Order: sequence, then structure tokens, then C-alpha cells
Amino acid sequence: MEYIINQFVNGICQGFIYALMAVGYSVIVGVVGFVTFTHGEVIVFGAFASFYIFLLCGNNLLLGVIGSFAASWLIGIFVYKICYERFFHAPRHIALICTIGVSMLLKNIAQIIFGPNKKPMLNIIKNKIYSFGIVEISKVQIVIILTVIILSALLFIIFMKTRWGISLRAVSQDKTAAAMMGINVKQTAMIGNCMGSGLAGVAGLLIAINYQTVYATMGSNLSIKAFAAAVLGGLTSVPLAALGGILIGIIENMGITFTSASLRDIFTFVFLIIILIFKPQGFSKKKGVRP
Amino acid sequence: MKKLVALFLTLSLMVVTLAGCSTGTEESSTSGSTSGESNTSAQTDGKTITLGLTAPITGTHAEYGVGFQAAVEIAMDEINNAGGVNGYNLAVEVMDSKGEPKETSDIVRQFAENDNIQAIIGDFTSSCSMAAAPIVDEAGIVLLSPTASNPDYPGMSDYTFTVMNNQSTEAPWFARAVVGQYIGAKSVAVMWLNTDWGIATHQYLLQGFEEAGITVVADESYAENETDFSSVISKLKSTDPECVVILDQGNVPTVINQIRGTGWDVQLATLGPGSSEQLIQLCGENAEGLIVDTPSFLTPENEEAVPFIDAFKEKTGYAPTDHSLCAYNSVYLLAESIKAIGDGEITREAIKDNLKTAQMDGLAGHVEFNEEGGCSRELLILQVENGKYVVKEDYGYGVE
Repeated sequence: MEYIINQFVNGICQGFIYALMAVGYSVIVGVVGFVTFTHGEVIVFGAFASFYIFLLCGNNLLLGVIGSFAASWLIGIFVYKICYERFFHAPRHIALICTIGVSMLLKNIAQIIFGPNKKPMLNIIKNKIYSFGIVEISKVQIVIILTVIILSALLFIIFMKTRWGISLRAVSQDKTAAAMMGINVKQTAMIGNCMGSGLAGVAGLLIAINYQTVYATMGSNLSIKAFAAAVLGGLTSVPLAALGGILIGIIENMGITFTSASLRDIFTFVFLIIILIFKPQGFSKKKGVRP
Repeated sequence: MKKLVALFLTLSLMVVTLAGCSTGTEESSTSGSTSGESNTSAQTDGKTITLGLTAPITGTHAEYGVGFQAAVEIAMDEINNAGGVNGYNLAVEVMDSKGEPKETSDIVRQFAENDNIQAIIGDFTSSCSMAAAPIVDEAGIVLLSPTASNPDYPGMSDYTFTVMNNQSTEAPWFARAVVGQYIGAKSVAVMWLNTDWGIATHQYLLQGFEEAGITVVADESYAENETDFSSVISKLKSTDPECVVILDQGNVPTVINQIRGTGWDVQLATLGPGSSEQLIQLCGENAEGLIVDTPSFLTPENEEAVPFIDAFKEKTGYAPTDHSLCAYNSVYLLAESIKAIGDGEITREAIKDNLKTAQMDGLAGHVEFNEEGGCSRELLILQVENGKYVVKEDYGYGVE
């Protein structure tokens, strides 16, 4: 029993990381209107930015979060300029294929700049194990969960309470109408893309802290998980994408508990397929995805 | 202004892409230039034998792939500076397999169709080498893998050879001598990588445990691109073994960090990475007490090894492991085989025939092939103490 509960805690912690990636993903898809495949690479750049910050400035978590957010924000601008800006009125698959190309490009750039070797990220947070009755949770896991909650809350406030948030939501709902209301659609879409990328960068930092390693090719697998979680949430709904991420984390870990870790991805995708068979729109109530 | 930005982006894109290509496929310039120098000093008449090298220069196993390239270049430089082989200089053409079997098959096919390539060295993993085995068998060109240790691999064709220990001898020895005798564990948990190499090694390891009377309390596999081991670790932890054995190469540091991250202070032993310097860098304090086995131990205290270590560090920036040494030996073994051809014509077929009987004594002790084209070597037991590997038991420990 104790063992199953601990697996559940592992699942929740991993789910929170997936959730943060998925939140970033659905912000991008929602605001820009295109599916992206560069998410994994953005995560890697965020992780490496924090790696160098920790190397140069010592283990300051807040600085690391800001740094990885900023670095991924810049990558977000790069991705937006190449993949989206000119293709708003082109068929949707053009931007999609473009993101696949940019993802390969970024992956190879990462290998050239950062080198192909794994890099250690040891003891960023002095590890400690807390026991609550039979539940054991490590300090790293608590930090991860708190960071994700704080960032999600910030995102919610920005979306609901600020002018930026209003423009972002307007662009997300209808680009033409938003343009008529005097919103600069291209700029707003870029900010949306950058915010989503920034969140992915912080997810990269959390992953690197959790696994104590960072390397240039770690993104591709994560990108698919983020995509799966976002699809579960109906692609454009931020809170539902977060729910999707947490559920995937839990289901993976519970699956591993009763079978083998070699089957990890099978649980994720079988779960995704089952949900999509019965609810093609994911958890969201809306039918279909906005164009 | 917009046009300028677009132009700049396009240009930077092109530059970066080109740079990307150049790391993917590169013809080694070092051996080329040194062969030019030795042309004048030695009796060579400018003839060159080119070998193909397929190795994971990028990807999860990049540390080893880059090591292969460096080691092969060092060996060729040495051979060429000493006058070459039978009047020939050696050169290498390197291609990046990224550690993926489908890439290796493509590369090996390209090498096989290229008449200039006389033999192929590579690949790093058993999966990659085995994927290429049918191709070399059909094309009739030697595929000498420095490190493929799946017992099925050398027997797949007349043309497949490996310098690395066969897991059918190493894994049972590891179970009996290292875990049973040296650590003295009665119960053990195994984490293993679900690949060709992992499956074969795991099977032999379990046999070894059974024969030695050691109970396997947990036995967990995971996929190659796994990054999160927390659930596997929780699973092992709940069975409370005396020792955890990790069968893997590239993921070992991540696994160790995550085991220590859960505050679990169990004895760790790993079969696969050998005395990898990167492992200690990546694990820091977490590596303390880790037990590994290795067929050769390259430290500055070993005087014979110093020139190789220095040359290797200069090329890569990190210390070599046994894997790189195997790549280095591969070149020498091929050179031996070419030497044995004597005045005869250098053909792919002749290289294969003479490689079967080629042997050498070097840093890794005596190396020769068995009937199938495999290899069997004695091993050392090392333990990490204060951030360094220390030899605990010499060659010949626990041999029945």
C-alpha cells in the first residue's frame, strides 16, 4: 500500500511537469492557432539556460526560473518569425511542417552549442525527504509542484486581469474580430507564443533539476507528452491541458507499478486513444477545434 | 527593414544547417595530413587504404561515438607515422549513426557500395551492429565492432567481428564474482535497458544469479529513451534488496542520481559503462561506493597508457574508457590483418580471412578472436572512492 501511494506521489510530481509543458503548449495553440512541434527543443534551451545560470551565478532557483523563461521567450520569437508570421493565411499544414523543420534545426544547434554530452545539474536544491505518515515526498518534488502552481496562478491572473490577457483571449477567440477592435494581432500572437515557450523553458528547468542531468536531445520525447496532454485538454483549454498532463503522469506511473517501465509510453498513448474514441474533443465541452 | 531581417534569418539558417552537416559526415583530416607528412619520411608510395567508421557522434551515446573517432584517428596517426602498413597509409571516413540502427544500416550500405572502403569499424551498440550484419554479409566487407557484446552478433556472418567481451562470459562472471563473491549480496534487484544488448545480457546475468544461489527480488526493464526512473526505483525500493545492479550504458548516471535522490542508500553495481569518467562527473557524490567491472583501466599511473590518454584528452577533452581503447585496438587488428596479406592484393575478402587469425598485445592485454569472430577477456573490479575509480580486484578474480 505504502508503495502504491509513493508511486502515486511520483505520478503527481511527473504529472505537474507534464502539466506545465501542456499549459505552454495550449497557450501557443490557442493564441497562435497553429500546432507546434518545437516545444521539446524550447524545453531543452530553457533547461540549458538554467544550467549556465547555475554554473555562473550559483544555485539561485529564482534566477534560474527567470533565466530559462527569458531564454525560451527569445527562442519563441525566433520560432514565431520563421514558422508563423507569414503563414497566417496559408494552409495550416505549412506552418506545421515548418515547425517540424525548425525543431530539427534547433535540436542540431543545441548539439553544436551545448555539445552532445550529458551535463550534470547536481544539488541545485539540497535534497531532503519528508515523511507524512506513510507518504514520502522529497524537497525537489515539493519545489516542482509549488513552482508549477505559482506559474499557473500567474498565468491565470495575466489572462483574466490584464489588458494583455484580454488581447490574448480576443486573438485566441477570433483573429479578424480582434483586428477590427484595434488589437495588433501579429504582435499579440507573438507574445502568446513567447509566453507558452517561456513556460516550456521553466518546465525544462524543473525536469533538469528533477533528473539532475541535462542534454541536448532530451526534448523530443517530452514534446510528444506535452502534445498528448494538450490534446486531452482539447488543445486550446489551459486548465484542461494541465489536468491532462497530471492525469498522464499518474496513469504512466500507476501502469508501471503493475507492469513494466518499458511500457511507459504505451500507457500514455492508449489512454489518449481511449479518451479520443469516446470524447473526440478531449475533456473540453466544445465540439472540434477553432480554425 | 523586414527584408533585411528575413535575409539575415535565412543566412543564419543556412550557415547553421551547413555547420550541422559538417559534424554529421566528416572525413578525418588528421589522418590525411599526417599521411602526407609520412609520405616523405617512410617508404610509402602514397597509396591509401580507407576504412569506414560508423559511430554515434551525436545522440545518447555521443560520448562513446566521439571517443571512437578520436581513438581511431590516434591509432591511424601512430601507424602512419611509423611507416604505414605494407607501404599503405591508413585513412578513415567517419559517418554519424546517431546510435540508431536504421542510420547504421544506411551508412554501412553506403560504405559497402563505395569501392574505396576496404573494411568498416563500428557500430557502438549491439542493436546497430546487428542491423548492419546482413548487409555486410551480402556485400562481403568486414564489420569490426569495437564494442558490440551481444553474443549473437559475431556469429551472424563470416564478416562480423567484435573486440568486446561477449556477454555470455562477462554477465555470469559479474553475477557470481562481483555480486556474489565481492559484494557478498544474497538478494539483488536488477534494472535493465530493453535493447538487444540489454535483453541478452540480462538473460545471462539471471542465469549467473541462479547458479550462484542469489535471489533476484525485483527485475525491471525500461525503454532506451527513458528519462524518469522514479517509478522503477520506488518499485525496487519496496522489495528491499541488498544490492541493485544496473545494466545500461548512457543512462547509468541518471539512474544513480535518481536513486540517491530518493534518499535510498543501497549498494550499487553497474554492468556496461566500464570506468567511464563522465559517470563520476555526472554523479558527483552520488557515485561514491559504486562498483563497476572493466576489461582495462586507463589511469595516468599506468605508464603504458599515458601516450594514448594524453592524445585522447587532447582530441576530446575527457579521459578515454575501455570502449575507446577497443576502437583503437580495432584499427591495430585490421592493420595486423592487412600486414598478414603481405604482397597479395588488398581486397575485402583477404582482410576478412586474415582478420580471423590476427592478434595483438596492448593496453587491454592479449586480444584475439574466437571461431565466431567474438572475443573473451579477463576483467578488473573497480569501486568509486572519493571521486576516483580504485582497482579492488585484479585480472583473474573469481575465475573458476
